[in-house]
Amino acid sequence: MNSQTLKLIGRRFFAAAMSLIFVIVTVFAITNVLPGDATDAVLGQGATPQAVAVMRHDLGLDRSVFFRFWFWLWGVLHGDFGHSLLNGLSVADAIGPRLHNSLLLAGASAAVSVPVSLFLGITSAIWKDTVYDRVVSIMTLGMVSVPEFVIATMAVYVFAVRLHLLPALADVGSVHSLRQFLSVFFMPVASLALVTLAQMVRMTRAAMADTLSAPYIEMALLKGVGPIRLILVHAIPNAIGPIVNAVALSLSSLLGGVVVIEVVFTYPGISGLMVDAVSSRDVPTVQACALVFCVTYLFLTTFADVVTILSLPRGRKA
Amino acid sequence: MIAMIGKFRSRHDRVLLLIVFWLLLALLGPLCSSHDPGAIGSQPVFSAPSAAHLLGTDYLGRDTLGRLLNGIRHTVLLCFASTLVSCSVGTFLGIAAVTARPWVEALTGRLADGFLSIPSLLFALLVIAVFGTSTTALIVTMGVIYTPGAYRTSRALAQRIARLDFVTVARARGESTPYIILQEILPNMTGPMITDVGLRFIYAVLLLSNLSFLGIGVQPPEVDLGSMVRENMLGMAYGSPAMIVPVVVIGVLTVGINLALDSSSGRR
Amino acid sequence: MQAASVLHRRSVLKGAGLLVAGMTSQSVKAAPVSGGHLKVAGAVGSASETLDPARQSMATDYIRGHLFYDGLISLDDRLNPHFALAEALDSNDFLTWQIRLRRNVQFHDGTALTADDVVFSLRRHQDPGVGSQQYALARTMQSVRAVSPVLVEIVLDAPNSDFPAILGISNFAIVKAGTTDFKVPNGTGPFRCQEFTPGIRTVAVRNSEFWGERPYLESVELIAIPDEMARHNALMSGDVDLIATVNPRLVQMLKQGGFGIVESPVGTYTDLSIRLDQRYGRSPDFVEGIKFLLNREQIRHSVFLGFSRVGNDQPIPPESPYFNHQLPQRSYDPDKAQFLLKRSGFLGETIPLVCSPAALASVDIAVVLQYAASQIGQKMAVHRVPADGYWTQYWMKAPLGFGNINPRPAPSLTFELGFASTSPWNESRWRNSHFDSLLRDAKSTRDNSRKRQLYWDMQELVSSGSGVCIPNFTNSLDAYAPHVCGLRPSQAGQLMGYDFARSVWLNENRGKKV
Repeated sequence: MNSQTLKLIGRRFFAAAMSLIFVIVTVFAITNVLPGDATDAVLGQGATPQAVAVMRHDLGLDRSVFFRFWFWLWGVLHGDFGHSLLNGLSVADAIGPRLHNSLLLAGASAAVSVPVSLFLGITSAIWKDTVYDRVVSIMTLGMVSVPEFVIATMAVYVFAVRLHLLPALADVGSVHSLRQFLSVFFMPVASLALVTLAQMVRMTRAAMADTLSAPYIEMALLKGVGPIRLILVHAIPNAIGPIVNAVALSLSSLLGGVVVIEVVFTYPGISGLMVDAVSSRDVPTVQACALVFCVTYLFLTTFADVVTILSLPRGRKA
Repeated sequence: MIAMIGKFRSRHDRVLLLIVFWLLLALLGPLCSSHDPGAIGSQPVFSAPSAAHLLGTDYLGRDTLGRLLNGIRHTVLLCFASTLVSCSVGTFLGIAAVTARPWVEALTGRLADGFLSIPSLLFALLVIAVFGTSTTALIVTMGVIYTPGAYRTSRALAQRIARLDFVTVARARGESTPYIILQEILPNMTGPMITDVGLRFIYAVLLLSNLSFLGIGVQPPEVDLGSMVRENMLGMAYGSPAMIVPVVVIGVLTVGINLALDSSSGRR
Repeated sequence: MQAASVLHRRSVLKGAGLLVAGMTSQSVKAAPVSGGHLKVAGAVGSASETLDPARQSMATDYIRGHLFYDGLISLDDRLNPHFALAEALDSNDFLTWQIRLRRNVQFHDGTALTADDVVFSLRRHQDPGVGSQQYALARTMQSVRAVSPVLVEIVLDAPNSDFPAILGISNFAIVKAGTTDFKVPNGTGPFRCQEFTPGIRTVAVRNSEFWGERPYLESVELIAIPDEMARHNALMSGDVDLIATVNPRLVQMLKQGGFGIVESPVGTYTDLSIRLDQRYGRSPDFVEGIKFLLNREQIRHSVFLGFSRVGNDQPIPPESPYFNHQLPQRSYDPDKAQFLLKRSGFLGETIPLVCSPAALASVDIAVVLQYAASQIGQKMAVHRVPADGYWTQYWMKAPLGFGNINPRPAPSLTFELGFASTSPWNESRWRNSHFDSLLRDAKSTRDNSRKRQLYWDMQELVSSGSGVCIPNFTNSLDAYAPHVCGLRPSQAGQLMGYDFARSVWLNENRGKKV
């Protein structure tokens, strides 16, 4: 690793910090530009101008946007994420258990889908254009092309309603043993793994196939390099950039983009909280969720970027 | 007919043929059905196929076939257009980020990361609030949502290629940036990039139905395939074609395009 | 005048047949058993769920309200008022009301119910900062004061013979005086709160000190499953025992699976309101044309699959004792509609029609209307807009838009809130001083037959003059597992007027998890 590479990586982290600031400001701006505010969600159809005015004052919504943003930022810098505009509960308390649930689900899904998709992607690139490759392609594409609410709902219908093998609701509170964990998490994890698999398998396959057809691989082959060594030492390092990118993008969606799975299994995660908070304009909750998603996303993509930089032909030479 | 298809030996022609087929179905399909996709009569809901309704009826008792053809039209046209927009813009920016001055990379990179981590729900609601609901707003929204992803893939690919000897040689020869992009980099990254295009097309089909549900997409009585699945979801309990057939059509459309793209990208 | 006569003015109910029709034979058999845990799934839930009765605005909130709190008055299956925490309710002029409280009632924290609690509970609705759903009705109470520890006097700003029904609205439930924090509910209701996590779950356990008839259930767990298919699957898999808001399309499947269905004729309706003070609605021909263009039978058949009652553009449902059945039913008449729309001058124009998933079935009703319009050459552009923010951003603002109105416990309330000239919820901005004076008369009259005549006249005025089109009244559908017993249909709302927990019992012998 040379100093230039280190500088590049350092710049990447600085860039990530800049992105974070950009996102926080943008999300705050958008939530405030959207028509309506939290008083709509609380008062609903029964709203009267007097009640709206008083409540807006109580919630501080009549202060200027800049003041509210500073107020919020100041709190966050001191570890205080504020209180929900809807129920006055602490945002940190509301997010805490849900984030835990989401990380559990995302972690379990990643643990299943990453190894499986790397294996499928690499093998189908090696045996490109064979029956095996075709079957893997059609299966993974087919899975991702079916809307996820269809996959998840059908799974519930078959395993919970018809066969009575698994619960229809993913009740995290009921998990006290490994067996219960498996029965509660099997369907949500399987559904999530199926929909995230495709992007990783496809990109791995494409990048690997591309690399495997490159001249230097043929050269290595001619030099008599064994197949396993060829894949691990010569092919993967050269294909790793797009693969890591695909993995990072897929994994980042496991935390914030699983609203459908949370809805179908009534799983109390952070995606649902975010959607709920957006539609009720609960700004502190939206901001906190966006912060969590953004940090996760930037962590994953920065990691992918660093791996890409390290894997670059010139960058690798120390 | 089969003999005719056989003539399209070239792999690129096969992709083209498939795209033309879907475009023709999108444009002419709705003319083939005598049923207005919005027509509601006194038919029962979720009925089984019959002579009058070849694919049965949907959750309101409307003709499934008529709505299916209408759904194909919107899904194919809108998703082709938005995939084209997001992938060409994304690819171009990705390569530009690598070949142009460093500040271009810094700027586009931050914007892409920023957009990717803003929840697309927020973004979609913003578009509705600012621009209302229109087809242009829809294509732009879908384009903007998927451009950063295409950008990241393209940049990751270009970064590697830009450091290879032949690009360095071209640069040393004094070739212009557009020449390097078009002649040296782009042709060497088509494989993975085309896979990315195919995936984005699949996501666009599903995103369209989500946007329609929010109210930014296709408005009633018109429909897109994903929304058709969603609105007929309860038909699952009765094995209704109104729910199953659009799922199958989405599968055939997206898997077919992806497989064709696959075979076209096998270079050499 | 004795309150008893106010409280027990039972009349011949037109909807009685329907009430019985929904009943299943099984609820009649076997004696109720005490004990057991019931898991219920409602259809709405979010972080804005609350335990403050004043703020309750969604179905699951109302259920929680009935679990933990009581009102002075309760409403029965036919919306007749009965005494709850009140023991007597008297008024000579319908203007000043004396309320005597039931003795020996305890809050969950062990303190006794006093007049101060009642005064506090009613007065807080008048503070806009509380965010009460009943701010407008609460403002009609000019003074609320404690005369003695068991006696409360309320003076209204105008006579209202339906005041007992107002006190039966669950938002007016009684809380402990001085309560400002509603994280833990301190009511007098039949259940205590064990757990409440907004948007996730509520667990209630039986209150052994409850003043009334003890409920059979040991505990109740309430969750929200907004996704329709997921909610039905949870019932069929045995994960929950009882669900609300069943989609009519799944009734057949649930019945085949051995599940029970409760069909309640509630007065809920989804209406199309045409703003009479904007472009299109300024033309009476246009409004009447649209009313003739609404295919009510088709909506009943295709949208609600028969689980609704046809409406006649006035808000009093057919099962109400005050329903005007002599008012001619408006029906689908495309020729008449075409003639009227042509005369209005809007036939060639494309009319915008705003609907949203926020207003139940409004997208489907819009589609039915749009198709009917296209048949007579009237173009309509359906704008389906997001559910969030609908009630403040679009409702009552679009020239043609949909609303969704919940039943009120008395016709005077329905008319007062939705159609009086001064009401902020006058959806079509219909101003009719004759109607307003009839409403005043109806609220102060002692003579029930005169009251009925007034209500009949008002229905006629609304139906012909207002810009509100009411194509159907929806029936509420609940479904339950076979071991759940004692559920009855109710005009007061889903799940026995949100109050199932007081009457339901479990029969574990009746094959749980089929």
